[in-house]
Amino acid sequence: MATTSATTATEQPRKRRSEGQWAIVFRRFRRHRMAMVSLGIITVILLASFLAPLIAPFEPDEIGLGRNYLPPMSVNAETGQFHILGTDHLGRDYFTRVIYAGRVSLTVALLVATISSVIGILLGVLAGYFGGWVDIVISRFLEFIATFPALVILLIIAAIFLENEQFINIPDFILAPLSAVLAVSERETKQVVLIILTLALLNWIIPARFMRGMALTVREQLYIESSRALGASHWFIIRKHTFPNSLPPLIVEYTLAVNTALVFESALSFLGFGIQDPTPTWGNMLAFANSYMFNHPWMPLVPGLPILLASLAINYIGDGLRDALDTRLQL
Amino acid sequence: MMRTMFKRTFAGAMLMGLLIPLLAACGGQAEPQVIRETVVVRETVEPQIIEQTVIVEAPTAEEGATEEGAEEPAASTESYTTPHPILDDLRVRQAIAYCADRSEVAKSVYSFLDDEQREELLMDTFLPKTHWAAAGEDDGITVYPFDPEQGQALLDEAGWTLDEGDTVRMNEAGEPLTLKFTTTNAQFRQTWAAVFEQQLLDNCGIQIIRTHAPGSWWFGGTTGLQRRDFELGAFAWVGETDPKGQTLYACNQIPLPSNSWEGQNYMGWCNETASQAIIAANNTLDRDERIAQYQIFQQEFTKDMPSLPMFNRLEVAAASGNVENYNPDPTEYYTKNIYEWTLTDGGDTVVLGMTQEPASMFTQNESAAVQRIAAYLIGNFGHQGFAFTAADYDYQALALTELPSIENGGAALEAVEVNAGDMVWSVDGDAVELADGVEVINADGETVAFEGDAITMNQLSVTFEYQEGITWEDGEPLKAADFELGNAIECDPEAGTISLQICNSRQEIEYVSDNSYTITYLPGVQWPEYSVYSLYAYPSHQELSDGRTLADVPADEWSSLPEIAEAPLSLGPYRLVEWEKGQRMVFEANPNYYGGEPAIQNVIIQFFEDTNQAVAQLLTGDVDVLGRETLGAGPEVEAVLQEAEEGTDLQVFTLASPTWEHVDINLFTK
Amino acid sequence: MTTFLVRRLFQMLVVITLSAMASYGLLYLAPGGPLLFLQQLQRSGPQAVTEEDIARIKARFELDLYLPYRFTRWFVGLPRGPITVGDQAFFSDLQVGCAIPGQVRLRYPDGRIEFIEEGCEVPVTMADLEGRDVSRGVMLGDFGDSQVILRDRPISILIESRLWYTLALMGVSTLLAILIGVPIGIYSAVRQYSRFDYAMTTMAFVGSSLPTFFFGIIAILLFAIIAKEAGLPYLPPGNATANRDYVIPLIGTVEARSTLDYVLHFIMPCAVLTFVNIAQWSRFVRTSMLEVLRQDYVRTARAKGVRERLVITKHAMRNALIPFVTLLAGVLPTLIGGAAITEAVFNWPGLGRLLIDALERSDYTVAMSLTFLSILMLLIGYLISDILYTVVDPRIRLS
Repeated sequence: MATTSATTATEQPRKRRSEGQWAIVFRRFRRHRMAMVSLGIITVILLASFLAPLIAPFEPDEIGLGRNYLPPMSVNAETGQFHILGTDHLGRDYFTRVIYAGRVSLTVALLVATISSVIGILLGVLAGYFGGWVDIVISRFLEFIATFPALVILLIIAAIFLENEQFINIPDFILAPLSAVLAVSERETKQVVLIILTLALLNWIIPARFMRGMALTVREQLYIESSRALGASHWFIIRKHTFPNSLPPLIVEYTLAVNTALVFESALSFLGFGIQDPTPTWGNMLAFANSYMFNHPWMPLVPGLPILLASLAINYIGDGLRDALDTRLQL
Repeated sequence: MMRTMFKRTFAGAMLMGLLIPLLAACGGQAEPQVIRETVVVRETVEPQIIEQTVIVEAPTAEEGATEEGAEEPAASTESYTTPHPILDDLRVRQAIAYCADRSEVAKSVYSFLDDEQREELLMDTFLPKTHWAAAGEDDGITVYPFDPEQGQALLDEAGWTLDEGDTVRMNEAGEPLTLKFTTTNAQFRQTWAAVFEQQLLDNCGIQIIRTHAPGSWWFGGTTGLQRRDFELGAFAWVGETDPKGQTLYACNQIPLPSNSWEGQNYMGWCNETASQAIIAANNTLDRDERIAQYQIFQQEFTKDMPSLPMFNRLEVAAASGNVENYNPDPTEYYTKNIYEWTLTDGGDTVVLGMTQEPASMFTQNESAAVQRIAAYLIGNFGHQGFAFTAADYDYQALALTELPSIENGGAALEAVEVNAGDMVWSVDGDAVELADGVEVINADGETVAFEGDAITMNQLSVTFEYQEGITWEDGEPLKAADFELGNAIECDPEAGTISLQICNSRQEIEYVSDNSYTITYLPGVQWPEYSVYSLYAYPSHQELSDGRTLADVPADEWSSLPEIAEAPLSLGPYRLVEWEKGQRMVFEANPNYYGGEPAIQNVIIQFFEDTNQAVAQLLTGDVDVLGRETLGAGPEVEAVLQEAEEGTDLQVFTLASPTWEHVDINLFTK
Repeated sequence: MTTFLVRRLFQMLVVITLSAMASYGLLYLAPGGPLLFLQQLQRSGPQAVTEEDIARIKARFELDLYLPYRFTRWFVGLPRGPITVGDQAFFSDLQVGCAIPGQVRLRYPDGRIEFIEEGCEVPVTMADLEGRDVSRGVMLGDFGDSQVILRDRPISILIESRLWYTLALMGVSTLLAILIGVPIGIYSAVRQYSRFDYAMTTMAFVGSSLPTFFFGIIAILLFAIIAKEAGLPYLPPGNATANRDYVIPLIGTVEARSTLDYVLHFIMPCAVLTFVNIAQWSRFVRTSMLEVLRQDYVRTARAKGVRERLVITKHAMRNALIPFVTLLAGVLPTLIGGAAITEAVFNWPGLGRLLIDALERSDYTVAMSLTFLSILMLLIGYLISDILYTVVDPRIRLS
């Protein structure tokens, strides 16, 4: 009972050893079929969202009370307009809303995952690598943050935002491009930024604890001790040993983080603490559509599907990357 | 103060310096530099700050003088005394009313109604069209039908013009006609607000920026509405049997920093005529007089347009076809007649569903609908739902032999002479000792100040008489001591009652017999709804688990007594046998109910977390009845209506609820 | 080890105190609060509310005390009033709060006037605290009374009424998720890139891709409503038990509150939670198993001719499950409030739902009690996981 795929890997000819490291990674990645398909899907989703103003057949907030609850693939009898994904309770075109919402949802998910991973990894490495009081301080601080009740914080953030709109200073060089990316007004962007920061604040604990564990393990390896004996600097060891060794699981961790952020955003909308209408997100569209479920069961599927597709794709890509980056994989 | 400071500091720390905490309101220490930064923005020389302590309740003459003596007109520079640059203009406010197609707004949330039904929900003034005090077009009120042309004309006239190719109007200075619109994040409001936004923009070039805030912020004691932190703000008032309105529209009810933000006139609307009319309307027992005063008020209200009434909410109640005599009502809870219900399939259990759990059965400290629905089953301590009901915008006697009124002799208005030192009810609605300068309303209805001479005032006394043979669940008859205890606990601040106004206005209570008592109010008291201000009744004889008798328990312990809060003795058709927290309350028929044993043996109240689940169980038959407080008018309602149409055995009732949506217009700005 | 434990427990105490302080402060910083209802009431005529009334209500919720005192009263039940030594009472006049705040008017030379709240019109002193109800403090196991949800009645009633439901739901679904997820993970790793692997991976990903409320509502629609309308055997849409006996096609009459009734109600929420959680376990095990399969000793074993089944069960699996053990500790805090949304969707009477309710209705004491419990579980979980690290991986030294 030989493991087919693992052995195929070892049977690969070794002649391509000379090619660049990233070329190897890419070649390995290509072998992961689902990852390749996912790459295609996510590209389509990203492109559709990014080109939303060009390809959207309607304005995202164009209300038409005479044409609400149209199921997917239906033609509005009055105007002859075609609604590929149907319309929502206000007669807004679902396809248009979905691609506009994608800009917000994906940006939120990616930024939250990135910010939280960067902070988490840095702190985790510090704690795990140096140990001692650094570890104690960071670890206890982590626990402290982890105990914060997320919903309460979100409520406070919302309140601070409402009361001090003009006092929240988000530099223009962040706000302006982000507002362009999200295709919403700067004021709505501020709200999005706050949600991003809050989610990042609540989500860096997992990568940090994870990285700390990795760094702890790597620290005790023999080759690190020899490196240290050879006079290598801390920075060198972290960069050359700790980090590369932790990379594959970190990639998986990151894709999980993107996934979590996507799902978390919609869960928050369900509880009423998320990004608020009129800014469309997949999450708040889904939460809204839920109430119409009994009469129009297709309604939640429309925003649900892109969440599912995007998050599946991201997971597969992470999976593929992990395999491709694994240095121990014999080729 | 310290609390505020702590809060602010904390916020800053928590966000790790990402946000700059609010500086303006932060000045706990009153450090000069803090104030300079935020208040005196363009000041070049150091401002001199004079501090004065203000006694909020009664500003003394001295202080008034200082204020008068100030060089600048001080009053105009307090927060929210600067007229709003856009909304102060009546023409803009009227234009908003003309440009909004309220029928379409209602359609966005009630798409299942036909045009005619929707038209009935629309309001011209602050009362529903069918209310006895509502004024119509014939009574001289201004109405605002959907008329964008008129709106556009008004805006043009006000200097807000629409240039070719623009979508938003601008004034001469090139400022856009943009207004902030704040409301809660309820799905229902998100829906109609989106339509409202588009209407104003498309029809008239008025741009509104929507903010959907958490209810806790919008209705918070120190945030949102109460601090008038809005330009256009939407929310709902729950209309009551009595039209009231005094705190909403009188001139002295405008929340301002100088009065500690007291009052509910969030618009800052002060129209002397209207203010006097609404106060007068609430200070007489004569219904014709009240109608006349409310009419004056409504004329002014609609003319000034400080608040745009949108529509009466629609509420839906449903029950399985199995339940007979279920009769939901817009102003009374549906369990009012549960003793009359029957089940056509001969079952012995009916299941009611609600989306919230009562906090306590101790009625006098509670106002939640769900608590009343449950409490009515056990007689609500002899109060509303037991002694009388409030169906259909009026009152009906139940355990009372009849509702006391002046016409039927149950109540009397007597002229009495009052002198210095007598307790009277002042014009401001306080129980005070009569002394020089105290203002009261005399028997002729005029406001007079006491100057040493005796004044003739009206004194109200009301006699409540209950039917014979009323007993508690343990068979002990209802007695005078029970009412006496009811009065003692209701009027003891330690028991946790919120407003003691009615208690304070009582002069004495005479317990005529075990089922009758007479309440005499202080001279000057004119409660329009006197005929339902009956007393609570508590089982004074009840022995508690710790051996004490209920009558001996100090008032401050009452709210935590299991025998009161969780399993009180019943006067009503059912008795509470089990309360599984978070799940259900189980009731069974009370054999000692004075009205005879009810037809249905068991009643179960099932609690739900969300309406979807409640509707699902109604459709699967696990729950029999969902009231309007549970179904409301959310998107789930459509599912219920459709099911009923498709032949599922359901009774569905649509009721125009007394709750009305409106957009308040803040006439002032910070 | 003992010194490590002692030190960690001490550190834990510090973190608990700080966390409790922070959460408590955050809660009161959030807008709303128990006085919210006052704003939604027309306060005129017979319902007029005076400043004294408000002060009285505030006192009932302890809102008239300064936050630090409020916190210590909740945390350790102190201060209860002046400290009496013999006949002498100390600190009676110490101001601990403010019943009616004062106001100050600031006047500027240009005529501007500003009102700010400052000072105190009616202070609350230590002497006023005497006779007020106070719990023994949450640190001593007394949660105190609920403020809103079950007003003035002990919070322990609320927690007791829900604890077992939450533990049952979370416990069983976690156990199932592990029992199903771990074998799937191992098999997927052994058969990497096989059809089975793809199918299982996809299923796991789907489970973690959508919020639970989505699956929950779909399940209710399919297995409760549509199934019942079609006359098929159906599952009850929600609650922990039924209120009346009911008939299910093919199964027959189910008696309310019988074991079968409990089981039928349990299936849907448990299945949804399990489905959502399988992902995390199977993915984790698959990753760690793949890692191990490439280690030298596995290859050595294979080279030695050890049978593949033995290689996997004896050599690979054991090592792959080491990091998995540490993950188990993370389950602990989720046992308390981990399923709030599932509980809400299926109307399951659990603690997560109670927490959301408490936050929505500003029942601060209940919200804080639950937060405190989950802080406690979280920290215990972390401690256990740190200890397990050293136990399973002797290379790590606890410094």
